[in-house]
Amino acid sequence: MKLFRNKSLVLLLLPGAAFLLLPMYGLVTGAVESFTDSGRFTWNHYTELAGSDRFRASLVFSLRTALVSTLLAVVIGWWFTRTFASALTKLPVRVTVWIPMLFPHFVWAYIVILILAETGFAAYLLTGAGWVESPAFFSRFSNDQQGVGIILTYVWKGIPFVVLMLLPLYAAMKQELNDLVATLGGGRWQKFKMVEWPLILPTTLETFLILFAFTLTAYEVPALIGATYPEMISVLSYQWFYSSGWEERSLAFAAMFFISAVIILISLAGYSLLKRRNKFIKREGQLK
Amino acid sequence: MVKKNFYLIFPGLFFLAACQTAEEGDSADEIDALLENSWTDIENEAASTEVNLYMWGGDEGINEYIDEWVSPALEEEAAIILNRIPMDTEEILQRLQTEKRAGRDDGSIDIIWLNGENFKNAKDNDLLAGSFTEELPNFQNYYDTESSAFQLDFGTAVDGMEAPWGQVQFVFHYDETQVDDPPENFQDLKDWIQENPGRFTYPNPSDFTGNAFVRHLLYENADEPSSVYNQPLDEEQIQGPAGQTFAYLEDIQPDLWREGSHYPNSLTELDRLYSNGEVWMTMGYNEARAESLVERGVFPESTRSFVMDPGSIGNTHFLSIPFNSPNMAGALVAINHMLSPEAQLEKMKPSPWGENTPISIDKLDDDMQQKFQEVDRGDTVLPTEKLEESFLPESDASYVKWLEDQWFNEIIQE
Repeated sequence: MKLFRNKSLVLLLLPGAAFLLLPMYGLVTGAVESFTDSGRFTWNHYTELAGSDRFRASLVFSLRTALVSTLLAVVIGWWFTRTFASALTKLPVRVTVWIPMLFPHFVWAYIVILILAETGFAAYLLTGAGWVESPAFFSRFSNDQQGVGIILTYVWKGIPFVVLMLLPLYAAMKQELNDLVATLGGGRWQKFKMVEWPLILPTTLETFLILFAFTLTAYEVPALIGATYPEMISVLSYQWFYSSGWEERSLAFAAMFFISAVIILISLAGYSLLKRRNKFIKREGQLK
Repeated sequence: MVKKNFYLIFPGLFFLAACQTAEEGDSADEIDALLENSWTDIENEAASTEVNLYMWGGDEGINEYIDEWVSPALEEEAAIILNRIPMDTEEILQRLQTEKRAGRDDGSIDIIWLNGENFKNAKDNDLLAGSFTEELPNFQNYYDTESSAFQLDFGTAVDGMEAPWGQVQFVFHYDETQVDDPPENFQDLKDWIQENPGRFTYPNPSDFTGNAFVRHLLYENADEPSSVYNQPLDEEQIQGPAGQTFAYLEDIQPDLWREGSHYPNSLTELDRLYSNGEVWMTMGYNEARAESLVERGVFPESTRSFVMDPGSIGNTHFLSIPFNSPNMAGALVAINHMLSPEAQLEKMKPSPWGENTPISIDKLDDDMQQKFQEVDRGDTVLPTEKLEESFLPESDASYVKWLEDQWFNEIIQE
C-alpha cells in the first residue's frame, strides 16, 4: 500500500489516528445499532423517528437554538474583534476577554441561572429599584420554552472563541492593501469587500461550523437550563438511551447518527463553498 | 491513492462493529462454586484483598458514611480495602453491558448499589453474578428473609441476586413558616396549590422522584392502592385511574411554578427552588433526607415533612455483585458486613446519613434493640409509627416508563 510506504508518515499519523479511532468507532457502532434490529438490517428506527412529534419538535428547536446562538456569537465576536483589534493586542485586555473560556459550559449555565432566574441577582436588583414589577418577568431567561437561557449561555461562551479565532487575522491584516484600495478610489465598503472580507471569510465560516456543531449536540447546558419541552436533541437522546428496559436505545442511536450526518453534510457544504471560492480567486486574482 | 486507502478505514470499522458478539458467560457457576465453601473459607479468601464498590456519589452524607465508617471497619475486621468509586448506576450498568459484549470476564466492579428498573435491566441482561443471599450469615440471622420487600424489587423477582441494604419512604417536605397545615390528601393539596399559585411543582416524571409523585396519585385514583401494586401493568384496566390522574395534574398545572410551562428536570432542581424560597414544598425518597440538608443550611430550619393519603410509597435498595467481578469472595464479605446490625445502626444515625434500616429489630439481642430504639432521627423526620402505618409497596417497574410516556403525551404535548 502506497500510504504506508513512507514509514515516517505512518509514525506521524499514528497519534492522530489513535485520537480519531475511538470517536470513529463510537460513531460507527452507533450507526450499526441504528440500522439493525436483532442482527438484521432495518429502516424501522428511522421511520419511527420521522413519525415522532417529539423528535421533530426537538430537531426544529435544536437547529433554531444552535443557529441563533452561533450567529449571534459570530456577529458580536466579529464586531468586537474589528472594533477593538488594536486594544486586543495588549495581553491584559486579551486575557480579560478570554476569561469565560476558562469555565466549563455547565458552570456558565449556572452563572446565567444565578444572575437571571427569578431569585437571581438581576431580579433582586431590578425589582428592588422598581424597574421591573415582579420577579416573574425573569422566568423567560432560564428553563424557558424559547431556549433563551441556552442561547445566552452559548453566545456568552462563544464570543471569546470567535475573538480567539479572528484576532490573529486582524493582527496580520496588511494595511497596505487598504491603502491600495483607497488610492484606487475605493471607500469603506470597497475596503471591506476587497480586503477584510476575503481575509476573514474562511476562518469565520470554520468558527461558525465548530460552534454550530458543538451547540447542536450539546447536552449539559440544555439539561440544566432547558425547558421540559421542547428538548434539545441530546437531552431527548439521553432519555431514550437510559429509558427502562433499554427498549428505546436504537431510537437514541438513530437520532444521534442522524444529527452527525446533518453536521457532516453542513460541513461539507461549507468547505466546498470555500473551495469553489478559492479556485475562483486563483483564476481571477484577488483584486479585480 | 492515499485518500482512497484512508476511506477504506470506514467499511473496516463497520465490519469490526458488526462483528462483535454477545458472549454468554457462566458467572452463575463461578459464584455457586464459591458459595460451596464454608463462610470461614470465604472470609479467608477475602482477607487482604481490595473490593471496588461502584455507587451513585451524589450525596455527601452517604459518601461520608462509606468512607469514614464502613471502610475503616471493614479493614479492621476483615482486612479488606474498600474502594468507593462514584458513578451513576445507569452508567455502571452500561459499562457492564459493554464488557459483557466484549466478552470481558475479568471486570473491575465488585459491588453495585441498585434497585428497581436498574435491577430489572441488570437481571434481564445477565449482568449479575447470581444468587448469593442465602449464604450471607447476617442476612439469614437478622432479616425477615421471607418479606415481600426483599423477594420483589419493583415487581421483579429478586431470586437472591441482591441483598437488601436500606429502606426509604417517600415524604413531602414543607416550610413551617409558609405553610400552616400541611395537606392531608390530594384534594387538600390541590386546594392549597390553587390558593398559593406558583408555590408548588414536581419534578418531570422522567426523574425518579417526579415519577413517584405521579404514582402516588395513581394509587389514590385506583379503587385500592393494592390494585396497582399487586399486579403488572394492564393498560386497559388502568385507563380509568390514569385518566383521573392526568385530569388532576392538568387541573393544577396553571397554578404550578411557572404556570407549569417547565417542570424541574431533577430533584436537585426542585430542591434548589425550595431552598431559594421560590416554592414552599419539595419531596423525595428517604424520609430523613431533609435532616442533613437542614444541618448544612441548604433547607430552612423550619423544614418539616408530611405524608398524605392514601399513604407513602417506600422501597428497598440492594447491593449486588456483577457477573465479572474479579473478587467475588471479597464482595460477599463486604456486603455481609454492610448488612450487619452495627453498620445498619450507624447508617440510621442522622449524621452522616440517617437512613432507615431493613433489618428486623426483633431479631437482634436486647442491647442492640435498645440502641436502635434510642436513635433520634431529628425534627424533620416523621415518627416511626406514622411512617409504618402509611407504608405502601412499589408497583411493577413497567408503570414507571408507562407513566413517563403518558405524562409527556397528556400534560406536555397537549
